[in-house]
Amino acid sequence: MMRNWFRGSTVIVALAAATVGAVVSVAVRNTAGQGQDQGQAPRPAQTPDGRPNFNGVWQVNNEAHWDLEAHEARPGMVMQEGVYPYEYARVPAAPVLALGAAAGVPGSLGVVGGDGRIPYTAEALRIKQENAENWIDRDPELKCYLPGIPRAMYMPYPFQISQGTDKIHMTFGFSNAARVIHLNDVTGPPDYTYMGHSVGRWEGDTLVVDVTYFNGKTWLDRAGNFHSEDLQLTERFSPMTPDAIWYEVTITDPETFTRPWTIAMPLYRRLEPSATVLDYPCIEFAEEFMYGNLRREPLVTRWEGETMIVEITRKIPPGDRLHEWYRR
Amino acid sequence: MRRRLLESFGVVTVFVTITVTLHLTSESVGGQAPASTAWGHSNLEGIWLDVYATPFERAPEFGTRELATAEERSALDQVRMGDSGRDRRGPPGSSQDVSGAYNAVYTSVKPAGPRTSLVVDPPNGRIPALTPEAQQNNEVRRQWRIMLMRNTPTCEQGAPACEGGQFGPPSPRRFDVPSFYNTLRMNRHDGPEDQSSGDRCMLGATPDFNGFRRIVQGEDSIAIGYDTGQGQGFQRVVYLSGRHPASPIRLRHGDSRGHWEGDTLVIESTNFSPKFPYRGSGENRKLVERYTRVDENTLEYEVTIEDPTVWAAPWTVRQELKRQSDEENRIYYEPRCHEGNYGLPALLIGARVDEQEFEAGRGPDPFSMDTATCVNGLPE
Repeated sequence: MMRNWFRGSTVIVALAAATVGAVVSVAVRNTAGQGQDQGQAPRPAQTPDGRPNFNGVWQVNNEAHWDLEAHEARPGMVMQEGVYPYEYARVPAAPVLALGAAAGVPGSLGVVGGDGRIPYTAEALRIKQENAENWIDRDPELKCYLPGIPRAMYMPYPFQISQGTDKIHMTFGFSNAARVIHLNDVTGPPDYTYMGHSVGRWEGDTLVVDVTYFNGKTWLDRAGNFHSEDLQLTERFSPMTPDAIWYEVTITDPETFTRPWTIAMPLYRRLEPSATVLDYPCIEFAEEFMYGNLRREPLVTRWEGETMIVEITRKIPPGDRLHEWYRR
Repeated sequence: MRRRLLESFGVVTVFVTITVTLHLTSESVGGQAPASTAWGHSNLEGIWLDVYATPFERAPEFGTRELATAEERSALDQVRMGDSGRDRRGPPGSSQDVSGAYNAVYTSVKPAGPRTSLVVDPPNGRIPALTPEAQQNNEVRRQWRIMLMRNTPTCEQGAPACEGGQFGPPSPRRFDVPSFYNTLRMNRHDGPEDQSSGDRCMLGATPDFNGFRRIVQGEDSIAIGYDTGQGQGFQRVVYLSGRHPASPIRLRHGDSRGHWEGDTLVIESTNFSPKFPYRGSGENRKLVERYTRVDENTLEYEVTIEDPTVWAAPWTVRQELKRQSDEENRIYYEPRCHEGNYGLPALLIGARVDEQEFEAGRGPDPFSMDTATCVNGLPE
């Protein structure tokens, strides 16, 4: 019986492998075909007015959105103490448990310059740690709030750069957010903002952008790193190749940090012929999260006051031979 | 009363989540915008707005005449300035007074413009007839809304919001799930989906004719940021290359691909989502928009709207947009209604409190109160 099952599996795997091979070869041919009639328009390295050509769809390829600082891989976005009482033996906690290995956090060597640590004041460091412990309750990303700058630049969603005559517009997939970089002289807005007020200038081939007028309500990543409304940024966009930009930010906020500090990373051009920023319309995605407790008939199993109680279920899919054998 | 106040507070909060002083200018705003970009395209960059309030459809007496005389414009302005609804009040201290307290500060109107209607094609300036399918869809939605209000004073007094409906006991269907995806206010607040798109901070569909729009023009993509009022707005990217994505990809504002025909930017949009309809047109909508710079401060905008499931024929709107001051409109491109949306949870909390009061015998049946139509439900 067992041998037959094994032999059957081998045949299925072989068939599957052959199918995947066929699909891949078709896909490659299609892509080549698309390149001719559906590709991105030819894009010279420079615009006609002699600037680096940043037009296009861009995205980072790193783990900065999890934590700007160096960190080891973690088993869950939210964790609890496991069987062993050590920090490194913590296990995923209920809110993400059902997601299994897809709920972990990949490790990173970090993007913070200097000694790699964010120079918090003692009080701000305490708040940062509280933020991390209360991530689900506090991170504005989970509510689909405007992500702010610099966070929008390294979220795991593509964004569009439209490089105009005296403005540069960035359109972000996440939350349909946007920023306008004024290359001409426009004074600041009459109110503090989530996305800041960006004024840019060219220093040779580097676009230098000063960003001010922040409201202090945005975060820097999912690890609880934050800032106050005293935040001021100086961003530098320098072409590395026609398809990569070295992005460096100096972060100043005397209310939160003991000195200015920097982050730096490449932004990569999305090279797919059909590269397009698709909207991530997350306001409605977050409604159950934000307002589910206010329904006439809540969808969530139960609420204890303002605490959502989620029962986690993971069903073994029917047809799992090992578990069917075990149940017998 | 507590619930009414909460709800009223909610509605008011939605309206004032962000109030930005928008400065209208129809004159030159200083600084010369070059006629073309460095890469040879007509230069459309700037903040643009229709500075006039023009009837969407043409009044029949104008026939096929597109432009109004100075006297006709002046007469229209007089009518609007005398509109009693601009400062209508309920009885002082009543919840109607609170929830309907929108005077001219909230409902300011722009002056009448040179056009007799925004619709220019068909030549009579009227939107073509709705298909039987669209009429039936509209009727299903209208009946649903009236069904939820049949026990309210709005229906008892025969107010316009209950037109065609009868006063009676609360409907046995009042807890049903509607047969359509709701986008408008209804007299029930069981959850976020019962609220209007605007109350959920998802206001605005493409095409939009009333809001400000900022155009930033790259060589192979054009970004358009819309401010549709009340802290709401949206971003579109028009790609000057590539094709529309496969049909299953449905986007709130569609997928927009543009090309230049001489000095006119022509944008074709499809792949619209059924969740953000424009005048009842959802996923079958197709738009062809045309932007032409007429002079330093004027942009002609034209859009042809096609949806054979909704209208008997395509139809076209034309507007002249005026350049607005960059300096005086420097925050509007950050729509942040959602971040300050205390209105939505307040509406839901108010409804839950009402239910508890009713169950405890301390308050009226929630379905005997009109919490949907706000100002419109008030009897004249």
